[in-house]
Amino acid sequence: MTTAPFGTVAVEPFGDSAVMVTVPHAEQAVRRSAIVAFRDRFLAHRPHGVLDVVSGLESLLIEFDPLRTAPEHVEYAVRLLARWAPGDGPELPRTVREFAVPVVFDEETGPDLESVAEEVGLHPAEVVEAIAKSTFTVALLGAAMAPMMDGLELPAPVRRRAEPRTDVAPGAIMIAGDNAIIQPFPGPTGWRVVGRTPHTIVDISRPDPVSFGPGDVMRFVPVTRDEAAALDAGFLLPVEVSL
Amino acid sequence: MTTVTTATATARKTVAMKTVALEFTGTGWSTTFQDLGRRDTERRGVPTGGAADQHSAVVANLLVGNPRGATLIENLGGELALVPDADVLLAVTGAPARVTVGGAPVESWSPLVVPKGHEVRVHADVGRGTRTYLAVNGTLTAETLLGSAAPDARMGFTQHVTRGSRVLLDTEFQGFRRRLFEPPLFRLPVPVPRFDEGPWVVDVVASHGIHAIPGIREVIEEAEYVVTPRSNHVGLRLEGPVLHPDTDVEIVSHGVPVGALQIPHADELIVLGRYRSLTAGYPIVGVASRACLPLLGQAGPGRRLRFRWTDRESSLRRFARREAEVCALEHAVAEAFAALGFETSLPDSS
Repeated sequence: MTTAPFGTVAVEPFGDSAVMVTVPHAEQAVRRSAIVAFRDRFLAHRPHGVLDVVSGLESLLIEFDPLRTAPEHVEYAVRLLARWAPGDGPELPRTVREFAVPVVFDEETGPDLESVAEEVGLHPAEVVEAIAKSTFTVALLGAAMAPMMDGLELPAPVRRRAEPRTDVAPGAIMIAGDNAIIQPFPGPTGWRVVGRTPHTIVDISRPDPVSFGPGDVMRFVPVTRDEAAALDAGFLLPVEVSL
Repeated sequence: MTTVTTATATARKTVAMKTVALEFTGTGWSTTFQDLGRRDTERRGVPTGGAADQHSAVVANLLVGNPRGATLIENLGGELALVPDADVLLAVTGAPARVTVGGAPVESWSPLVVPKGHEVRVHADVGRGTRTYLAVNGTLTAETLLGSAAPDARMGFTQHVTRGSRVLLDTEFQGFRRRLFEPPLFRLPVPVPRFDEGPWVVDVVASHGIHAIPGIREVIEEAEYVVTPRSNHVGLRLEGPVLHPDTDVEIVSHGVPVGALQIPHADELIVLGRYRSLTAGYPIVGVASRACLPLLGQAGPGRRLRFRWTDRESSLRRFARREAEVCALEHAVAEAFAALGFETSLPDSS
């Protein structure tokens, strides 16, 4: 995953105390995997004065304290780090956690299943099957720590809803493009809602409210409503940890 | 005074810590625990959040000898009132407000000794600014999420302080042995911002999205915008003229700095606040200067705003000047309190 080339990066100032880094490349897949690899490397060698980074799908926003550093210094560090060939620097070995997430896919939990099926030319049951067969990789944590994942394998990318839903239940499994995301708290979304897991995805009473991070792998396991109820599902935990 | 000197290796002087209860006899439209926000959580999808007006929050804490990032109270609208069950040192900052202790008017933006059993009332002039901050010397007992007491509504972490609640405070404050109605305790160089009646002017640094919309620079510079009631902690929604890009280039989800000026499809301009998340689809034409963010945090519905384009260097010079004023206050407070035999947190301890 960290073999994508990012010898050339684009660094652009964004306001008076941030820069935006992107990896220019014709292929979307390369742009996306390269920025994930770059983010890991940048965080492992965080320059002085950098306060936080925000991952986008194809970009990294680097926020810094303008009284302790300057955009020129941040840009210099970014370019130095980017110039290392993959495997050149002391890349950290990464532990990948794997999750098997039980999901109820029915008309009530997945109100968009049918319209998605129609859109991609499948039967709703075939959409569920395709979702269950897909291996999702957490690309980044979205709003409120929601796991935003790549890896949805359907015949065509899924469009967002024209009219966003206003109140989607926590645990909702949602798809758009070739991405999937799990809704951690009740709220609005423009994503297509296809199922729901009985697990708690984000628990704010825990010191670390989530058990997953970028690079982790999730699979969705279809279960019936009764099976879901019998699970007594609590906080979502990984099934196994592999290196 | 029960001052005990311990024989530790550092020979640190320890002062008796006591727990004081603050009884909230009145709260505003929204009264919450607050601080300067979360650090290093944005890459995990949790916005920094924190005080909308960071300058007022920092100054409130410094005026009572706290570290800049100590937990304090943020109040939006209405009237905030509380009664301590022991003498406390507190300060009120933020939007212009009528502050009374035991019914007598006192100054805001100044340290105040509030005697045991006296009620403090803070009534802000919402037309001039939306938020007031109340800091008390010591540590307020509040829950935290990812290391911060700042609310995060999206994650169900509301941090509301309700009327009738008793909030506990651990403080070493022993009193200055003076009466309330003597002249102000100190003459401190307090950087008090102006809250003008007329339109507030906000400096903006242009960003790449501006090239996607020919003529937007001139439109924004010449127009006056009004904050609408649809505004919230995620962003200020402004009514006023905008233009849209004529191309349909896809903008994928990306991070944005606080203060970003976004033009959605509708006929409005959004200034994103400290609780913004990833954004997609809409162009960002500029980012408000860091020095102007506290003012934006005070803008409420009806507030008129004008934007002035600036370059990054000028923007940062202005921010550095303001920071120098805050540092000067930090040192003056440390000296003044030390002269009274009262320890403050040393600068940089946050």
